[in-house]
Amino acid sequence: MNRGFRKIALVVALFASIPASTSRVSADDVTDAHVASDVPAAILVFPKVVVDTADPPATARGRVDTLIRISNSSNQPVSMKCFWVNANGHCSTSPSTICDPNLVPKDVRCDANAVCQPGWQETDFLVNITSRQPVAWLASRGAAGCDQGSPPGVPCFPLDSNGIPGGPNTNAGSRVNAVPEDPFVGELKCYAVDRNEVPKNLNVLRGEADIIRSNTGMVDAESYNAIGIPGLPGVNANNGDNALVLGGTSGAEYAGCPNILILDHFFEGARDPVSQQTVSTKLTLVPCSENFLTQSPVRTTAQFLVFNEFEQRFSTSKQVECFKESLLSLIDTRSPQSSIFSASVSGTLTGQTRIRGVADADRDHGHTLLGIAEECRSDGGGCAAFNLHFHGTRPQSDVILLP
Amino acid sequence: MNGRASGRIGRWGVAISAIVLCTVSLARANVTSERGSSILVFPKVISDADGLQTGYPAGANRGFPVDTIIQISNTSNSMVFAHCFYVTSTPLDPTRAPSMFNPPQWQEVDFDLVLTKQQPTHWVVGPGRPNVPAEPQCSRIPFVDNCNGAGFDPGPIPPISDPFVGQLICVEVDSSGFPINGNRLKGEATLVTPHAATTTEGIMPRGEVSKYNAIGFQGLNTDTNSNDSDLKLCIGGDVRDGCPGGAEYEGCPNSLLLSHFAAGSTDPIIDTLSGGSSSVETEVTLVPCTQDFENSIPGQVVVQFKVTNEFEELLSASTTVTCWSNFRLQDVGQVFQLRTLGSRFVQTRMTPGGPDQPRIIGVAEEFHIDGRPAVDVVTRAAFNLHGEDWAPDPLRPSDQPPVGDMISIPEAP
Repeated sequence: MNRGFRKIALVVALFASIPASTSRVSADDVTDAHVASDVPAAILVFPKVVVDTADPPATARGRVDTLIRISNSSNQPVSMKCFWVNANGHCSTSPSTICDPNLVPKDVRCDANAVCQPGWQETDFLVNITSRQPVAWLASRGAAGCDQGSPPGVPCFPLDSNGIPGGPNTNAGSRVNAVPEDPFVGELKCYAVDRNEVPKNLNVLRGEADIIRSNTGMVDAESYNAIGIPGLPGVNANNGDNALVLGGTSGAEYAGCPNILILDHFFEGARDPVSQQTVSTKLTLVPCSENFLTQSPVRTTAQFLVFNEFEQRFSTSKQVECFKESLLSLIDTRSPQSSIFSASVSGTLTGQTRIRGVADADRDHGHTLLGIAEECRSDGGGCAAFNLHFHGTRPQSDVILLP
Repeated sequence: MNGRASGRIGRWGVAISAIVLCTVSLARANVTSERGSSILVFPKVISDADGLQTGYPAGANRGFPVDTIIQISNTSNSMVFAHCFYVTSTPLDPTRAPSMFNPPQWQEVDFDLVLTKQQPTHWVVGPGRPNVPAEPQCSRIPFVDNCNGAGFDPGPIPPISDPFVGQLICVEVDSSGFPINGNRLKGEATLVTPHAATTTEGIMPRGEVSKYNAIGFQGLNTDTNSNDSDLKLCIGGDVRDGCPGGAEYEGCPNSLLLSHFAAGSTDPIIDTLSGGSSSVETEVTLVPCTQDFENSIPGQVVVQFKVTNEFEELLSASTTVTCWSNFRLQDVGQVFQLRTLGSRFVQTRMTPGGPDQPRIIGVAEEFHIDGRPAVDVVTRAAFNLHGEDWAPDPLRPSDQPPVGDMISIPEAP
């Protein structure tokens, strides 16, 4: 009796000692679960992947490819399922002809009586990563086991089915298909799964993308970190179904996407005060919600609030369906020199732009956005990619529906 | 009955305790590179018109010229004040590489910023930004694109003496100059090559750029402003000397994660698109989270590197960072060489050498070298490192809270 009482007292004391730390940790965990590109996460989003390896190049981008690098930050193996999202446009009268729906007035690769129809198609693949292992692949080539005849110099998965003795250390079963078309523009999304391909809240994935152009007489590299969406803590936080629920007031499995994206940028046409070249900025936006099951793109209105260095404010908006890549000065007009993003309109060299996907009554989509920016110098200067800043979350969930 | 009940409760207690401990170990710090913060750190700031400090190997060769454009914005709808510090790590003789006989200066120069609501601002580190009220604005008619000084001046920003290598730290303060937790600052740094230059590694073209986000320390409890507004900024940790209220800002991560190429690796994209013999080198810039500007005492930390290659093989190395360190990975040790690692892609975890040492933050920059005789161009790309707080620290007892860091700033005006 006394021993039993002592045990109960001990447990009660134990419970009594827990609340302070528990409540603090729980609160921390909830507030800590932010979308971020600088901590490991369970979902990785690479908003921009570009490929054009033809010689001469098929697009104005020049010869370019994207190196995807993903690492497992934990000492346990992890699997991930990934989706290439092909955002190439195709001519309405010639579906095999790739075009750019963002070009103004139109892409000359399409006939005079044709329009460039934006595309949105996913292809998926599975990668098994061993503990702490870094893996990489070229978007244009994909990757397979190194023992399966990979061309020399092209990244591959080195740990074959034999692995390292003493554990499940193998990349066996991993095969990355190359992007479905060349040229290609689109995004890559990956999420952690178990060996049965069931989504898991394993915040152990981290990634980087290197976009490298190599043309006659020039080479240019730019890098950005993949945007990580962490799984929420708790054993039962993820129900393992094919709907990944990001944020929201109920049923959230992963952290919610940011309410607002913030971009610091040079206004278009401004002269770089160091190199004296003209600066331009390209913005790429993708929606947080995606329906890979029925291939139904989610249409979101992006509102832009632009502040110059005089604290003066401009605004504009643009529709984002599944992928939007645009020079800042072409967001609001087809005449760049008249754009509110033009230095000659704003009057100052740099600005701050707040980008907000407009929420509506649709409870299945939070209509939040993710993205990256690229800043380029004219006359042979280079480009640099960088991650946008985030602000807040919103009460609505975003949902990624898996096939 | 009672025994069974107490046993059951005991088992539940143990289970719950285990869950709690697991949860505790999974909590992470909130140093961020993409959210509004109260302290901004730009770890890599260089202004070197002649490439005196950017050559590789250091001191043996002249490097490429570079200057840095700093962009800082106020993300709120109220006015923001900030107190900023340049911390120079340029050696006493700037024409030679830093060494025991040519030590870095570790000197700080400070200035103030005032930003109106949502105001962005910028300056070039070399010339700074003087207060000139009527600078010409950019315009189409008459055509003006040289409008570097247009906009509300954020306050006089001093020029620096060339060459400058070091860091910039900005602390959000109130109108009296005392630190507050507003989390309203964000920033970026752009490293730009002002004119083409030929180095031993190749040609760096004019306008070659790399860009990274400033690392932000978010203030805690912004609604109640838990900051005691003294001159000791308590970064993470618990109650301790100088931090009677515990942490005022989120803590630095226990470890930093870097994905990189093994030194001497080829770039698969350049080689597949253009042939040739490319190579990729990685440069890392680290600063300790603990810094004492009041007494000009540089923070010092031994950094342990745990290097994992694609075969999941683990190697290690270490180096010492005093105040600021910018180095190529292969200079730390042979473990970063391709011939040692045997694989092109590598993940490196960087941790302080012990629980009593400061934590670290930093950025990385890759140099992709084309290697074709007719081209031989060098291009650069910077990126932010990943932070990790839940990595088990073998030297720290599991029940001991994380050690905090502290930035001591000079007396407010």
